[in-house]
Amino acid sequence: MKTDKKAAKLRMSELVPFIAFVVLLVFFSIGTGGKMLSSYSLKMLIEQSILTIISGCGVLFVVAQGSIDLSVGVNVALSGVIAMHVAQSTGVGWLMIPVALLIGLFMGLLNGVIVSKCHVPSFTLSIAMLIGVRGIVNYIQTIIGVEYVPASMLFITSSGFRIAAFVVIAAIMAYLFEFTKLGRYSRAIGENETTARFVGVPVDRMKILVFALSGLMAGCGALFSMATVGGTTQTMGVFLEMKVAMSIFFGGVLVTGGSSAKFYKIILGSLSITIIVYGLSLMGMSDSHISQSVEGGLLLLILFMTIVSNRKKKARGETAAPAPGETPPAEQT
Amino acid sequence: MSGGTILEIHGLNKHFGPTYANRNIDFTLRRGEVRGLIGENGSGKSTLLSQIAGLYRPDSGEMLVNGGKYDPHSPLDANAHGISMVMQELGVIGSLPAGVNVFLGRTGQFAKGGIVDLREMNRAAAAVFEKWGLRMPPLNRLTENMIIEDRKMIELARALSIEPEILLLDEVTQSLSLNNRNSLYELIARYRDMDRSVIVITHDIEEMIRITDTITVLRDGQVVGEVVSAETDPDQIRMMMVGRQISGDYYRDDTTPDCDGETVLSVRDLSVPGELEDVSFDVHAGEILGFCGLSDAGIHSIGKAVYGLIRGSGTVHFLPTDVNITSAPQALANHIGYVPKDRDREALLIHASIRDNAVLPSVEELRAAAGLLPPGRVNSMAEGIRSRFSVKSTGIAQTTDALSGGNKQKINLGRWLAKDLRLLILDCPTRGVDVGVKAAIYALMKEAKKNGIAIILISDELTEVLGMADRLLVMKDGRVTKEIRRDEDFTEQSVIGVMI
Repeated sequence: MKTDKKAAKLRMSELVPFIAFVVLLVFFSIGTGGKMLSSYSLKMLIEQSILTIISGCGVLFVVAQGSIDLSVGVNVALSGVIAMHVAQSTGVGWLMIPVALLIGLFMGLLNGVIVSKCHVPSFTLSIAMLIGVRGIVNYIQTIIGVEYVPASMLFITSSGFRIAAFVVIAAIMAYLFEFTKLGRYSRAIGENETTARFVGVPVDRMKILVFALSGLMAGCGALFSMATVGGTTQTMGVFLEMKVAMSIFFGGVLVTGGSSAKFYKIILGSLSITIIVYGLSLMGMSDSHISQSVEGGLLLLILFMTIVSNRKKKARGETAAPAPGETPPAEQT
Repeated sequence: MSGGTILEIHGLNKHFGPTYANRNIDFTLRRGEVRGLIGENGSGKSTLLSQIAGLYRPDSGEMLVNGGKYDPHSPLDANAHGISMVMQELGVIGSLPAGVNVFLGRTGQFAKGGIVDLREMNRAAAAVFEKWGLRMPPLNRLTENMIIEDRKMIELARALSIEPEILLLDEVTQSLSLNNRNSLYELIARYRDMDRSVIVITHDIEEMIRITDTITVLRDGQVVGEVVSAETDPDQIRMMMVGRQISGDYYRDDTTPDCDGETVLSVRDLSVPGELEDVSFDVHAGEILGFCGLSDAGIHSIGKAVYGLIRGSGTVHFLPTDVNITSAPQALANHIGYVPKDRDREALLIHASIRDNAVLPSVEELRAAAGLLPPGRVNSMAEGIRSRFSVKSTGIAQTTDALSGGNKQKINLGRWLAKDLRLLILDCPTRGVDVGVKAAIYALMKEAKKNGIAIILISDELTEVLGMADRLLVMKDGRVTKEIRRDEDFTEQSVIGVMI
């Protein structure tokens, strides 16, 4: 039966990210002589993935709408550096939390308003942010230098606390994405913005909202980043936006977003990416040049796969064999 | 139509998977003959044309053109044999300007030293439009920003530019408004006079009888009969199509206008630059208010403006909640529904599931505590729409791109009727659906009317508006030029007189 075959093919393409994950895990487990599966490695794996997922789960909403936010990395750095400085200079440790979240949110709102009201493509805008804001961060850091988590807030550096916080936040975000209006409308916008508009979805507001959410989660990611390292660093958030994008696309979300966007995909994708990066360093290729070129190659591969599957999807829409009892393709209106 | 045979088909078969799209087709076309192909959705008309046009290759059987073996490998190959086709679904490339689309795949003939001379090409394109009396869209504009009608004209020009001996037209008229339809009819008549042949597919039976010489009726992939257009009538053809007698009265049979219900919508001095000028009207509960006009008349803008998609000056006052509609989200929140004309580009999320499409306008209503859209409620709503409007499909998880036009439209309309509406705007609701689905849509409209829903019916099909509306507003150049009630001079002649 043609339909069964088609359904099977569809399920197949959903399975690819899972298969990739298993293959990578097995490959690096063998390649590292089992070191990959040591409890220390697994803990590292989880902690690294957590940072990517927390910083990226807002981006997932943006990608679902068919846009992209490449400013999460610098947003993490900016909100982290300022939040820490406020906490240190005022001596009120807990201030770092609201400040990081507010700055993240502000940056996200700014992105959202520019994208939806000035019709700047999100890719271009967030690249501009990526470059421009990094300059500001570097300038601030040359003045205030590296700072450490204040003593009153040291509890956030325990991995137990971080994992618990991660579970709660990820659960909320998964709920928002899969079971609320925000998620449903975002996927609809990614599928076809005109249709969404014609039905009465407040498209502009939804765009601003998801960029704001992406910014808020970058602020959250800043807190996780500082909690993991113990303070700010010169390279905070560097390359993070790429890790986030790779996680989402490697997990099987199409660049055009829409129905292909699912929350589990960012988790799966970020685990796969982390396995690759961490596995390479365990295999003695910690030389950052090699691991960087592997990451670059992977990104290329992912983009290629996405484009090919997109083209297939399009072709399917136009010349799909009809289901029994349905009209032949040329007659589909 | 005295000429010799130009095209012969013997024992042609084509199947997709287990489904036979064409079975044992025998078909003969003479020079100077205008032939109609008719049948329900899925009866294999488009498949047959697509094989003649070189889009698909038959599984078995043979085709002869001018007595010689004909086995086209591609549309360009078919062109070389003097055959070209205008497809039902849009075959223009949106990111290219109109002029390039006319000579798609053949731009090489305008190349000078490797560079295509665009001016020369546009001149040639303009000549095609002029020769055949087609309305010409701006040739340098990208086609993606054009309305369906203009894009259709470009495809028509492309097909004509090779001066085909056989012209294949698949559901072209349904995208056109009255004046462009008339130019198409003239074109077909000229073709006949030039002793060339045309094969036409249209769902509009009256139109088909009017413009063709002979009609071939298809059912389930087989030819069930051939009739001479001058000797047949719509009922006979309808019966041949479905294989049983069906009642011809799918329109309303009464002549009493029903426009005394409470006013639901009151539009005053609505103007949108370049589209509408000082439009004022009221719609009442249980009333169907029809809009008709030529292609630039602005009837489609009425729907968009009332639903808040385009804004200008004037007021769109929705009385049940006493608000002025200024945006689409606001219209949605106020129990107004809108079925746009372009189903695939404006109404449906074509690659998404039936479920996602069905619940899209009802997301607010589905919301429970903490913003939750309970999966159970989402599924049962989608399932309800699928079964209530009998959408032929494998389940609510199926994507809509695999559905036929009629079934897509059932979802498109059904998802609004599943809501508690006060006003429903329908823009060409029966575009590209067969008689069966058409009848179902009219029945739904009558039911909605009985339930007190006010309906704005915008249509390029004059018979449809005359058949269904209580009152009719005729538009010209963005203005309402005449209002006719159902009990007045409610005939095609009187309306056309005002339209032009």
